[in-house]
Formats: sequence, C-alpha cells, structure tokens
Amino acid sequence: MTKDIDRRTVLKGFTLGAFALGSVVSLGSLLEIITFPNGQKAALARGVILADKSLCSGCRICEMVCANFNSAGRNSDSLSLLLLEKDYLRGDYQPKVCHQCADPPCLKACPVTALQIDRQRGTYARVIDERACIGCQKCVDACQRYFRPSRPRFDPEKHRTVKCHLCFGDPQCVKFCPLGVLRLERSEKGLLVGYPIIQED
Amino acid sequence: MTPKGGWVGKILRVDLTTGKVSVTSTFDYVPKFLGGRGLGAKICWDEVPPEVGAFDPENRLILATGPLQGTLAPTSGRFTVLGKAPQTAPTESFCRSGVGGHFAPELKWAGFDALIIQGKAPKPVYLWISDQRAEILDATRLWGLDTYQAQQMIWKLHGWKTRVMVIGRAGENRSRIACILTDTGDASGQGGFGGVMGSKNLKAIAVRGTGSVPVARPKALMEITHHIHKLFARKPSHSDPYQPEEKNFKYNIWGGGYGRGSLSLLPGELLDLCQDPSSGYSQIPDGCFACPVSCRSRVKGPDITPGVAFCAQSYMYLESMVHQPEKGYSKITWQAAKLGDLLGINAYELMAIVPWLSDCYREKLITEEETGLPLNEIGSWNFASKLLHKIANREGLGDLLAEGGQRAAAKLGGKAEKLSFMYYPRAGNFGGYREHWVYLGGFPTGYAIPSLALMWVLDNRDALVSHSYIAMLWGAAFTIGQNALTAVPEKIFPALKTAMKVAYGSEEAAEFLHADGKNLNWKWAAPVVKRYHEHSLLKDSYILCDVLFPYLFNANSADHAGDPSLESRIYSAVTGIEMSLEESYGQGEMLCTLERALAVRDGRTRKDDILHDLYFEKEDAGGRKYIREDLERAKSEYYRLMGWDVNSGIPTAAILERLGLKEVTAGLQKRGLPEVKS
Repeated sequence: MTKDIDRRTVLKGFTLGAFALGSVVSLGSLLEIITFPNGQKAALARGVILADKSLCSGCRICEMVCANFNSAGRNSDSLSLLLLEKDYLRGDYQPKVCHQCADPPCLKACPVTALQIDRQRGTYARVIDERACIGCQKCVDACQRYFRPSRPRFDPEKHRTVKCHLCFGDPQCVKFCPLGVLRLERSEKGLLVGYPIIQED
Repeated sequence: MTPKGGWVGKILRVDLTTGKVSVTSTFDYVPKFLGGRGLGAKICWDEVPPEVGAFDPENRLILATGPLQGTLAPTSGRFTVLGKAPQTAPTESFCRSGVGGHFAPELKWAGFDALIIQGKAPKPVYLWISDQRAEILDATRLWGLDTYQAQQMIWKLHGWKTRVMVIGRAGENRSRIACILTDTGDASGQGGFGGVMGSKNLKAIAVRGTGSVPVARPKALMEITHHIHKLFARKPSHSDPYQPEEKNFKYNIWGGGYGRGSLSLLPGELLDLCQDPSSGYSQIPDGCFACPVSCRSRVKGPDITPGVAFCAQSYMYLESMVHQPEKGYSKITWQAAKLGDLLGINAYELMAIVPWLSDCYREKLITEEETGLPLNEIGSWNFASKLLHKIANREGLGDLLAEGGQRAAAKLGGKAEKLSFMYYPRAGNFGGYREHWVYLGGFPTGYAIPSLALMWVLDNRDALVSHSYIAMLWGAAFTIGQNALTAVPEKIFPALKTAMKVAYGSEEAAEFLHADGKNLNWKWAAPVVKRYHEHSLLKDSYILCDVLFPYLFNANSADHAGDPSLESRIYSAVTGIEMSLEESYGQGEMLCTLERALAVRDGRTRKDDILHDLYFEKEDAGGRKYIREDLERAKSEYYRLMGWDVNSGIPTAAILERLGLKEVTAGLQKRGLPEVKS
C-alpha cells in the first residue's frame, strides 16, 4: 500500500515537473526547446491550425484544397492532411487538424528520421521528408494511439506517408475555408500544443 | 484526345436481372458529350428507345457525374440522374434531375464516372460500390424503412463515410413523384426517378471510395477557385455565421438578395427558437461538397427531425403558415417537409398538389368523405401527415396522387383538370411539371416576360428559370430595393443592360417591353433562350450548381456584369482541354439538339411546345398578356436559330451532320421522321 502511494507521488511529481517546464517554455520565452525525461528534444511549432467546429458547414473545401495542393492534383479526401469527421444526420461536423504536437509521437516513432522539424521554412512544423520516408507507417500507428483518425496518412500509390506541413507557412485550408472555421495561430516563441497537453481529440 | 484530368475512366453497368456487373470506358463518350447531362443523354439515346416505359426493367437509371466532380472545383458535389422519366405526362419521356450533397465525389473516388442500372432484381436489393468493386446485396431488411433509417443501417454496415442514394416508401410503391434522397435532404426529385428505382427493386445505392480524381492543372484550378470564392462569398462575421464579415458584401446567388443559408427557415416559431441559444434548437449554414456559399441550413432541435432542407423542400407546406398565421414558419411546416423526405416524395410536386387539392375542395369537386382527408384543415399537421402517408402507401386518393398532380387531374377530368392548368403550365403530351416562374413574381401575380414563356414551352421538365436568366431580373430588382414580387419591369431595365450584353450579346435584350409599356417585346426571346439553353446544358454537363452558375449578375459591382466564362475556365483547369467560351456554346447547342432529338423520338413535335390557354387569357400585373401568335413566331425563330425544322420542331439532317450527331440522324430516319431527310 505504502509502496503504491509512493509510486503515485513520484508520478505526480513527474507530471508537475513537466507542467512546470511547460510554463517556463511558454512564459519565459527563453527556450524554444522542450526536453522530456527520455532526453528527446523537439523545437515547438511556431504555427498551428485551430478549428472552430461550431461554424463548420461541412463543405470539405479544406480537404480538397489540401489534397489538390499537396499531392500534385490528385483530388481525394483520402489524401487530405486534415480530415472532416461528419455526423450527417445529427449535423455534427468536426475538422480534425494536425496539432503539431509539442512532443510529437509520430516524430519519435520514425525509424529513419524522415519525420523532421521544418526549421528551414521557419514554421517548425513536424514534416515528413518524402525522400527519406520508407512507408513503414509507424508514425501513423503512433499518432493513432492518441488522435483518431491518425493525422499522418499513408499514400498507397507512392508508398509514402504524408502529413500536414502547414503548406510552407501558408496553409491553403485556412485560406480557402469559406466560413472562417480554420485559422492559423502563430507565435515566434513556439506553441505548446497537441500531445502531451491534449492526449485525445 | 483523352483528357488529362477530371475523369477516372470507367462507367459501371449493373444488370439487376442477371446480377451481372460490367465496366465500360468513359472515353467512349467524353470529351465529346462533356459529361453529366450530355453523357446521360447520349447513353439514353443509345439504350432507351421510345418503346421502353419508365417502369420497364429495360429502362436505364443513369447516375452521371461530370469532369469536375470529386475535385476542388466550386460546387462540384452535384451530379445528374437521367433516364426515361415516369413523371413526364401524359407521355413518359427522357428527363434529367440534379442532386447536390456529397454522393458524387464518393462515386468518382470509388473509381466510376457514371453508373448505369438496368433490369429488375427478383427481390429487394441494394448496390454496394467501393473502390472499383460493385456488389448487389440483399435489402429485405431495408425495404419499408424510411430514408433516414435505411441510411443509418447502411452506415452501420459500411461505415459513416459511405454516401447513400436511397428511396422511401413512395419509391418502393412506384410513385411517379418519388425522389431519391441522399443524406438528410439532398434529393433527385423532378422526373420521379425514385419510382424507377422502386420498379427495379433497388432500395439504395451505397458508395465509398478511397481513390482520387486527377486534375490536369492543379495550380490553375486553385487560382480560378479562389477567384470564384471571392466573387460569391465572404467569411462570416464572428457573431453571426450568416452575415459576411465585409458589411456591404452581397452573396452573389440569385442576384444577391439571398445568401448563406437563406432559403431554409422563414420568420416564425422555428426561427425564433433557433435564434434563442437556450432553446436547444439551432440552425447553421450547411454546404454541399466544395461549395463556398452554403445556401442551405441544417436545423436541429429536441422534438424535430434534424437535417437540411432548402427552397422548395422547406417551403413545401407553406399552407401551415396560412393555417396558423400567428406561428409563421412553425415546427409543423418543418416536420411536414421532413416527412416528405422520410417517405421519399418530391417536395416540388407537393407544392402543386396541396394547393390544387385546396382549390378542388373550395369548388366542391372533392369531399372529405370520399378522399378520407381532413380537407377543411389544410395547413394542419393532421392533414399533412395523412396526405403524405396516403401518397407514399398509395391508399385511396393517395393512389391517384402518387401518379403526379397532372395525371391525377386528368383522371378526375372536368373542372378539376382545368384548375390544375394553373399549376402545370405546359399543354401537349410532354407536361407533368409544376409551374416555376412562368412570370416574374410567379403565376398568377407578377409580370409576363417573353423569354420565360419560351423557356417553358421548350423544356422537357420545368424550365429552371429561377436560376440564370431570372436571377438577373431578381438581381436588378434588388438593386432598386424591390424584389421579384414587387419590381416593375420598366424600372429594372437600366440595371440589366450591361449584364445582358455580357450574357446574351445585346443591351437591348434587357427590354422585354415595348416603349409604350402595353405590349411585350418578343424580339430577343429566341436568341436569349438559345443562349440560356447553352448555359444550362454546359452547367449541367460539367456539373456545377444551378444556384451559382451561370454567373450572369454581379450584385457587388456598379455595372452588374457577370462572367459566363467561369465554367469553361474551371473545365479547362481540371481536364487540361482548352475550351473557349464560343467553343463551349457550340457544345451546349449540340447537347441541346441531342436532348431535343430524344424528345422527338418519344413523339414530341412543335405542337407539344405550348402553354395552356389560361396563360394567354390572363393579364399580368401590368395589364399585358402573352399572345399566342407572338409565342409561335418566337418558337419559329428559335427553331431556325437551332437549325431545327420550323414546321415540326425536329432537328434537320443538316444540323445533326454539322453537330457531329450522325447516329441521331440515322435513328430518327429509321423511325420515319421525314423532316430529318431534308
């Protein structure tokens, strides 16, 4: 019994620690790097797409413009990097966007470091280097543990996994959304979003 | 030349009698016949001769998409249902019906550009299409379910991403006014193709695809799409999803007087509830696939059927607003509309049947006892639910009404039939479709406009005049602070001039009255209607939405000039085929002649292109009349412009040759249609 309590206290300590570190990152703006107990370092994304589902009309322009832009004109909802979950009957429409997680499970799972952080474009988005990807779909599985459906998506035709890269800083879904459901939140300090701050959606 | 984009290349053919599924190439038909309505017309020409009745197994139910479906192209969620239509009265004939929603892209992603269904299944079945495969599955347990329940069952089986075209009780009972519904409110209504599905024992078509549609010039498509978004819509202001963030911006649909979600609920009980956040009722704009405007609203609440309803569908039972004026658009109005959807009855037809029954009751031609309907309380829930169930189940008078208003009226004969002429304007053998703005402002009020009368006599269903041409008139009315019911024609001419020049080639086309104000000016009727037909055929063949296209009136600019080239530019971007505006009009003309040939083969001639006497007797709100001789002259001019024989209205061999429709010449000659030989 005591042992149990001990363990729980220790865990609590860890969690508090993580939170404290998080606050330092967001408030202090000194660090762009979040460090986790396992030693993994990941620069925070400087942009993330947020969705207000209460306005969504379910037109799926976001999905189409994403697929059209990012897959050389192959228009399809299965190649779109954000997904619209729709309950047609009850009229509940939810755009599911990539959170550009603070501690990205997909990035950690990649065995060939195809998943990288896009420093070059300055978005610090979690992106997949198409040349390096081997199509093992481990990132898909990793994301799926928390967020369903998985945000990285497998393109069977090219045998590569693709994921949201914020369209090099100008997300087309945000630009084209006719109802203003989607918006791009930016911060030069980095945004503490996605996993582990939220662990499901 | 094979298009580089837009098509996935296969047409699926399902024979329900034998259970055989086969595939043919789309490129047997396109790009020559463009797609959608043109593609379907060609298939009908090849496969549905006049001897085949609408409910015969040999009739084809064709679901045709166009090159734009399943892509980013604005309003590319639409597709067309075609075949021999049971609703056309008294002679069943070729007809088309457009559907919005999200079904079309799913069909393309599943790998099929079109679907041809023939034969008759021995027992109730549904069709399951997914990624290049099609299966005919048992639907015994779906038979008899309403359209929502059947879809829910299919979603349980095949996943929520599956889109379903489904019929209700009305379709199962082969009603001639049954619709095919998808999701909560998008339906193929006109034509009565729900009954065709029922006659084939086909309850539903379920589709799910994970493939993709190639676009030839993705960057160009994004540019034109962004341009069109800017023309038609703005993001909403944060406090109200219905208001554009840019204050004075007008959503450019129907001349700018309507906007996002604007044709669902009218003022009244239900709208008040939706605007009260604590009530539990709500309405939010709801978009068809890839549409920037979202002209519909989805409505939900604790004790109403949730879903979308739009225009005719949500206004199906406005009698309830007369019955209970203090409530305005009430829960009853909404529930009646949704009951029509659940049972799968064409709301547009009900909008003629209900007032016609009311007229008959007033004239003491029908009684409550013999009909079993509470006719003295038309407008109540009791009446609506009894009437709709009777129609869907074909009980008593409902059996007659399920044949459609015009056929029912003809059966009753005498005065009842005469009363129906007000709702079914076209005389001759190819009527059966409800009045739809024969006048600006509607019949019997409003103003006579020559082009509208000519559109009406020539169409093979209701002329879709509330879109394209009339949208310009409405737009002009809105710019002077009036609307369709109040605008005086002379006053709207100035606002129309530039727009008319761009759309129809002359500023003069705006003046449909002579300067004396006493007589209609028929001079421009024929050329305007020819161009209107070209616009319609093109829009329905690329498949874009009627509400946005053709774009002829800009409510946000000073000269109001539209841009009819948008459609062909989208087409070029998606398919990679260069298509100039002039070229596209030529294609429209060709498809219009093909549709005419289909009607002609079913027996249509010049004498079927006529309105009932009533429309030449009544004076409009300005004291003017349609004069029969004027209309006949305009018809002659129209036939001449189209290269059809003036005496019979039948396309000549010369024009068919020029349009590259040789097989049509041969087909018509085989049936001894002498005019074609000339």
